[in-house]
Amino acid sequence: MDLLLDALREAMRLLRTGDGEVYSITLRTALITGASTLVAALVGLPLWLGIALGRFPGQRVLLAIANAGTGFPPVVAGLLVAVLLWRSGPLGALGLIYTPWAMVIAQALIATPLVVSFAAAGVMALPPALHFQIRAMGADRMQYLWLVAREARLALFVAVMAGFGGVVSEVGAAMMVGGNLAGETRVLTTAAVPEVNRGNFGTALALGLILLIFVVMVSAMLTTGQARVQRR
Amino acid sequence: MNTGTPALTIRALRVRRAAREVIEVPHLEVGAGETVAVLGPNGAGKSTLLLAAALLLPADGEISVFSEAARRNVQVRLRRQTATVFQDAALLDMTVRQNVEVALAMHGVGKAERRVRAEEWLGRLGVAHLAGQRGHAVSGGEAQRVSLARAFAVRPRLLFLDEPFAGVDHATRATLTGELRTLLAAEGTAALFATHDHSEALLLAERVVLLDLGRPLQVGLAAEVLARPESVRAARFLGFSVLGPASCALLGLRPVEGVSHAAVAPEAARLEAGGVPAVVRRVEAGSGVGRLLVELASGDTLAIGQPIEALRDSSMAAGCEVPVMVDQARAVWLAR
Repeated sequence: MDLLLDALREAMRLLRTGDGEVYSITLRTALITGASTLVAALVGLPLWLGIALGRFPGQRVLLAIANAGTGFPPVVAGLLVAVLLWRSGPLGALGLIYTPWAMVIAQALIATPLVVSFAAAGVMALPPALHFQIRAMGADRMQYLWLVAREARLALFVAVMAGFGGVVSEVGAAMMVGGNLAGETRVLTTAAVPEVNRGNFGTALALGLILLIFVVMVSAMLTTGQARVQRR
Repeated sequence: MNTGTPALTIRALRVRRAAREVIEVPHLEVGAGETVAVLGPNGAGKSTLLLAAALLLPADGEISVFSEAARRNVQVRLRRQTATVFQDAALLDMTVRQNVEVALAMHGVGKAERRVRAEEWLGRLGVAHLAGQRGHAVSGGEAQRVSLARAFAVRPRLLFLDEPFAGVDHATRATLTGELRTLLAAEGTAALFATHDHSEALLLAERVVLLDLGRPLQVGLAAEVLARPESVRAARFLGFSVLGPASCALLGLRPVEGVSHAAVAPEAARLEAGGVPAVVRRVEAGSGVGRLLVELASGDTLAIGQPIEALRDSSMAAGCEVPVMVDQARAVWLAR
């Protein structure tokens, strides 16, 4: 109990005193998870459209892969990206390993199947008559896609939230491809791990608490956005 | 009515599902301004036929809308000459007015005119007061009215109606059927109308296609098809009793040459003292008029139209013996 109270006190002190390093880590966490979620949404939503609305052989297989991807171990994603970006790897020349970009790539790889799977499930749950109705109104391909996306907007919102949730708490891949370099690739999760290893539970719990506050704030923002989308 | 350029022409239409042919229609035509009903029991393939004709399902064969062949690259344009009303009104998650406006937008109607036409048609269908409500918040009958307003607002030359009133209560259904009849006549819109309700088909359609197992059983003028089935299957679907040679002999029905089975409408059979004895098997409720099903000594079942109140009489309970007669002049002889 004392340990927890100490952690809370430490978190409050870090936030109150305006610890530059903590603010910088929190900002970096927001930027990297935000960018990863954005990339996952930009890649995942068109993929979702193709999988959920297209008619082609292997459609079910692709959806099964996306569904299986929701359980894709972050460490494996990190390993895959690390091998690709390693200096002697196929994309080593890009010099991205141990940079925030490497972290964005790895985390987007984790979030994309989540976005695809949740979004596809939402579209498939729309009444079949609705698809016929939209086409019967004379919709061309783009109008059809727009109206289907509009009808499934809540599911798409949930899909993006799921993608964000999948990466914000992730540590394995971020550590592997980011390297937890102070001032460069250190984020809230990767910063907490070495503190635990050193036995600095107070600082680690404080970082965890800040991460929790960050997640709650982002979720509250997304939930407000979700309610607005629902009313539209 | 069936003159000029046909609104819809179907030739050698085949629809396959799971490697099985579910629809096979050699020929079907809907004239300009004409209403054709596709009448059949549940599972006959009415909706599938309608969806294929509305260019919403892939199908083999030829479909032409106002004499233009529905090739893949012109299907969106052809669909914009038509509108479809489904059993499920399928309103979009937006306001009722926007539901109509979005259809108009797809037909290239400008923003200002969209609003005017949406309000005009919501008013004509009696749902103008719902314009600002969410599509999902209105009742089934109201949703179907909005769906009709959405369909008519785009001024379609051809309307597809897939059992549009199947999900609403009896009174609303009767009112909407009447209103639809008036609108179709006023707008001169051709329509292909799927239903399993004989009276709807009779009220709305000039011609009827009886569909069974995806194939047309009989095609003709509505009143003629509904009164004179040509086959045992058609007769059974239309609610006629099919009587074999033994039953015909029992009831004193004299067959015409070469046929041995008679179809008897419930209205052509009656209970009458001195008639042929039959045993009551069960009663069936209808709207206003019910049916008493009796078994003849020959084993055939005969349906007799009766007022609902009469069916409550204890003398018509299952197992009771009743005397029955059939009007010879109203028996329909079946060639197949």
